[in-house]
Amino acid sequence: MKDLINTLGLCSRILVLFFLPLVGFHSSFGQELNPLEGDPRAARVGGSIFRAQCATCHGADAMGIDSIDAPDLTQIFTRPGSSEQDVFQTIREGIPGSIMPPHAFPEAEIWMLVSYLRSVGVSGFTGQIQGDPDRGMFLFSENCETCHRMNGQGGSLGPNLSMIAAVRSEDAIINSIRDPSAIIGRQYKPVSVLAEGNVRFRGIIKSEDAFSIQVLGTNQVLRGFRKSTLQELVYEDQSVMTTFNESALNGRDLTDILSYLQSNL
Amino acid sequence: MMKQIKKRATLLLSLFFFFSANLSAQSGDGPTYEDILDGFNDPSRWLTYSGDYSGRRHSPLTQITPENADQLRSIWTFQSGTTTRGRGWETTPLLDDGVLYVTGSNNYAWAIDARTGRAFWEYRRNLPDDLTYGASAPVNRGFGMLGNQLFMVTLDAHLLSFDRRTGEVLWERELADYRVGYSATAAPLILDNKVIVGISGGEYQTRGFIDAFDPVSGERIWRFNTIPGPGEPGSESWPNDPQVLAQGGGGTWMNGSFDPDLNLIYWGVGNPNPDYYDETRPGDNLYTDSLVALDANTGELRWHYQFTPHDVNDWDSNHMPVLANIEWQGDQRRVVMVGNRNGFFYVLDRVTGEFLLGEPFTATTWAREIGEDGRPVVLNDGSLGCLPDPWGSTNFYPPTFVPGLDLFILTARETCATYVPEEPANTPGQSNFGGTVFIDSASGYGALRALDIHTGALEWEFRYPSPTFGGVMSTAAGLVFAGDHEGNFMAFDAESGKNVWHYQTGSRIWGAAAITYMLDGLQYVMIPSGTTLTAFALRSP
Repeated sequence: MKDLINTLGLCSRILVLFFLPLVGFHSSFGQELNPLEGDPRAARVGGSIFRAQCATCHGADAMGIDSIDAPDLTQIFTRPGSSEQDVFQTIREGIPGSIMPPHAFPEAEIWMLVSYLRSVGVSGFTGQIQGDPDRGMFLFSENCETCHRMNGQGGSLGPNLSMIAAVRSEDAIINSIRDPSAIIGRQYKPVSVLAEGNVRFRGIIKSEDAFSIQVLGTNQVLRGFRKSTLQELVYEDQSVMTTFNESALNGRDLTDILSYLQSNL
Repeated sequence: MMKQIKKRATLLLSLFFFFSANLSAQSGDGPTYEDILDGFNDPSRWLTYSGDYSGRRHSPLTQITPENADQLRSIWTFQSGTTTRGRGWETTPLLDDGVLYVTGSNNYAWAIDARTGRAFWEYRRNLPDDLTYGASAPVNRGFGMLGNQLFMVTLDAHLLSFDRRTGEVLWERELADYRVGYSATAAPLILDNKVIVGISGGEYQTRGFIDAFDPVSGERIWRFNTIPGPGEPGSESWPNDPQVLAQGGGGTWMNGSFDPDLNLIYWGVGNPNPDYYDETRPGDNLYTDSLVALDANTGELRWHYQFTPHDVNDWDSNHMPVLANIEWQGDQRRVVMVGNRNGFFYVLDRVTGEFLLGEPFTATTWAREIGEDGRPVVLNDGSLGCLPDPWGSTNFYPPTFVPGLDLFILTARETCATYVPEEPANTPGQSNFGGTVFIDSASGYGALRALDIHTGALEWEFRYPSPTFGGVMSTAAGLVFAGDHEGNFMAFDAESGKNVWHYQTGSRIWGAAAITYMLDGLQYVMIPSGTTLTAFALRSP
């Protein structure tokens, strides 16, 4: 595996050597803007460098690896205030005291990595939603607010949706509403336990080890259990989120909710 | 035998749980002000820094006793992964409904399963690169909690509100400009619809304050400035120079106690700025090194008592004021007790601020006594030999009060320091001690000391090899829990001072005091140390 990574690394260096003469950016390094912005070749070569140098920790899909706290880099530009210059600096300087080391790559290669991360970064809505945001707000409060927060209002079981229109596409949100169990995020895996006294507790797994499990219940209460005290522990594959089919929320309803989500940005 | 099942639950089952979940949604609304007022009456909780508003840190629990304490064992350890080298983990965890809410160094925070030590969530604040460290160290002493909200102050001088279920920040407010030297580390004090916070930065060009915020809107309700403005009462204790007043120091970096009947907040105020150099600030320098009693509704000053007038030794009075209703010379008195950094133990009437007692608890040579007027009779301004060091004869780490024995038990430091003042540069964002201190570190030592609250007399002591920064907690079983600089977490017989148990945690216990609570029929005792938080009980659950 290490040999493969080294080979990939060598390949990427060769690619860069070919690439360098194509762009006259020798004088552009060290600036705050990516000199390769908009150049699809930069993202492509950056992808090669990424898979050779970064994927061991951040995953070949750049979506991170939980077990070593390597973050999902497809989300990196959704963080408030996150800029390409910040990402450039983090790659070059690393994060002191963490597993993320500094990298002595040529600046051109770092900008290519930034271009690659920009290319795979999640993006929000692709167009202006033609719906009624006021009606969408009403529908949101009726159907979603028990579990989801918007602008400081709402529940804590599901993700805060205040900025969701900047992070997920319209289709991704519609799919989540119509079929919430198709893709369940890491922090939202459903579980049901039967605890002492025949008490049933269902929720999402926040943490777990071989002997215990920590759950945010569907009643929005945190609860930890020693597994030895449980009569039953069921890892479910149906999301705790309600499925909203056409009869619960029709197409117009969804458009209005999307419009409300977008109006919040 | 437990069944572990992976299955596709039916829609019917999902619907059942969805509706049953909604029915039980009321159960997790979190503690109310009345719950915090209830204090130790429900020992399955620890809802505020001292366990209740009195600041006594005295629990009614009795499962662990002086007779069985030697059977205490560690049940789990939580590793924070972050620390403050040279100091320690100063937090007091809060506990509600089986979940611990814990702050750490460098503005980390967690919700931790009290049964297993596993985290539900972790929070880390992105701190600015140009942090001024107005708090001297990147520490934090704990959350405040109200309902499903948590409150934490930050090193860059903000107040944050969190959703306790997810660790999500609900709102944040700037307390003051960190670039000047302001910072914040104290656990917020939660009252009825108020979040009370203090500020650090007394070594910088700062003016201390105590703020009250609305927990829901995050709007500031009132501010009490610890250094009066020009012409305000107390300003006569300073030179007539607005700039000196605006930079007078007086940090409020340790939280206070509260008397709900009198509706008064008791809160300590820190040193004047600069610390050692006093040419620019003749006078008593109110309200530095004082205890202030504030009206909880308005923040107005009801009374004050200054422990160290015109301080030149950095003897902040940032201590937990300990409230008790006691018999005092034949009368019932409502008193507040303070073991002070200047080496004296004080008893004051907490209704009026009247001075009742001031007796030394260390071998200080600074003052012979506290006169009947409540002012110290200073013997030695430093020119006659060494004084207690700037870390003081005790410090902010909590003491405890044992009601039945009428003992005030605190960690004392015996030290010897020489102060050489020098005019400071006085630059914004730069600390401003105003001199150098030479500490004879070879002669210093620490001790756990039990004082008779009626006389200040030493009833017993347990000595430590070095000056110690560990806090103290006691229980109704007659136990005292304390930590030392060498890393030992210990239990003592409150009456005799005999050590009955010790456990080497592996790192100094610094600034923190233990908590204790009942969970699933077991009494737990918990202490932070270094990067670890350890839960102890008499047997495994």
